[in-house]
Amino acid sequence: MGAAIARRLSTDGLRVACVDIVDDPGLRILADEINGYAVVADCSDAAAVAEVFVRVQDALGDVDVLVANHAYMSMSPLAEHDPDDWWRVVDTNLGGTFLLIREALPGMRRTGTGRIIVISSEWGVIGWPDATAYCASKAGLISLTKTLGRELAPEGIIVNAIAPGVIDTPQLQVDADAAGVTLDSIRESYAADIPLGRIGRPSDVAAVVSYLSDPAVGSLVGQVIQVNGASTRGRA
Amino acid sequence: MSADGRAPAAGPRVLVVTGAASGIGAAVRHAFVERGWTVAGLDLHADASRGIHGVDVSDSTAVSRAVRDIEAEHGVIDAALTAAGHYEMLPVAEIDDERWRRMLRVHLGGAVNIARAVVPGMRSRGRGCLVCITSELAIGGGGGDAHYAAAKGGVIGLVRSLAIELAPVGVRVNGIAPGPTDTPLLAADSPWRDPGFLATLPAGRLASPDEIARTAVFLVEDADFVSGEIVSPNSGAVI
Repeated sequence: MGAAIARRLSTDGLRVACVDIVDDPGLRILADEINGYAVVADCSDAAAVAEVFVRVQDALGDVDVLVANHAYMSMSPLAEHDPDDWWRVVDTNLGGTFLLIREALPGMRRTGTGRIIVISSEWGVIGWPDATAYCASKAGLISLTKTLGRELAPEGIIVNAIAPGVIDTPQLQVDADAAGVTLDSIRESYAADIPLGRIGRPSDVAAVVSYLSDPAVGSLVGQVIQVNGASTRGRA
Repeated sequence: MSADGRAPAAGPRVLVVTGAASGIGAAVRHAFVERGWTVAGLDLHADASRGIHGVDVSDSTAVSRAVRDIEAEHGVIDAALTAAGHYEMLPVAEIDDERWRRMLRVHLGGAVNIARAVVPGMRSRGRGCLVCITSELAIGGGGGDAHYAAAKGGVIGLVRSLAIELAPVGVRVNGIAPGPTDTPLLAADSPWRDPGFLATLPAGRLASPDEIARTAVFLVEDADFVSGEIVSPNSGAVI
């Protein structure tokens, strides 16, 4: 999903810094392809996130748009969930986004404008069994978005969130392995539960990011856009 | 390239907009024309030079006749957006039967009438898009807004139900719930224009009709996996 977002924003005319925890050749290839900038960092590490913004500032200048898309997912029944792993989910997803926003603010305040797009999840809206940590982190992101929407809009910094439903990402292979079925079969079974009759594409989420990053739209503040093929219908 | 930086869509596409003569409807009409769409309007005030048919949207017969005329002239309708409406604030005891009826018939009835007129064609082609303008007052309520909020709340229920009903045939249905927007619907002395009120909004200002139109462009052209959703460019009035 991050790659699709980077490509779309590049098409929209932005220079994109692509941040990932894994120093994968694919990250550099993507950055080269879109004339962007690759940074390897763990978004849950405060010092690393601060370093990201120093390097991006040097390479590309002030950050106009922040998309917090990174996530760690781990599922377990509540009572059996290792507490360290439970907190890793929350600290990565919610805590990491807090760090990214905090470090993005000085540059946005210098220019008096900014767009912050937080990637939450349908599960942050409706909950899901055996996903307490993930759902808590994603619901926390919704509250963070609503609060920072109020807190930062007077400064011209606009915060909104996206809550994607089932999207065709590598997570589906994890789900398929866990269920002991093929990737195609998990795609089909998810699609059967979605009113529009298909699962989402990463580009579907990127399209919403494109809209939310448009400097011409400043009156959409603290909102959650649900991208899930009519699965929840405005429940956030 | 248009103002939002995206290339206009290829090929002729047809949009029907109600309330097209002024305010949000006029801004939507303008935005889609700029992007290469053929836009047909319905409004109480006809204007042939802008392709606006004189129709009261609460009149289902007149709406279906106008939609048939539009299809005869321009071909299949790809998308429809309902923006026709009026606004007034009244304490509930002062909402007489006629004012209640009129508010419901125009906002909710107008959306239903358009849906009934354009959906059969969309269904047969397996694609299409409906966008209904509702209001932040339908979500957060407002003192003196009982009949307006009830009508606009009805529109939200309609959007969510049509989203489910029409998803299997490839038609997406979404709503836009603006906050106070700088249109003729807000009188010069409207409390929504009061600087003291605007200061309470996180964004500190009215939304512009162009921002609502940009949201409509997003929902119609780019939001392929979004349906049943209400997008709220409301300056932070309801979060």
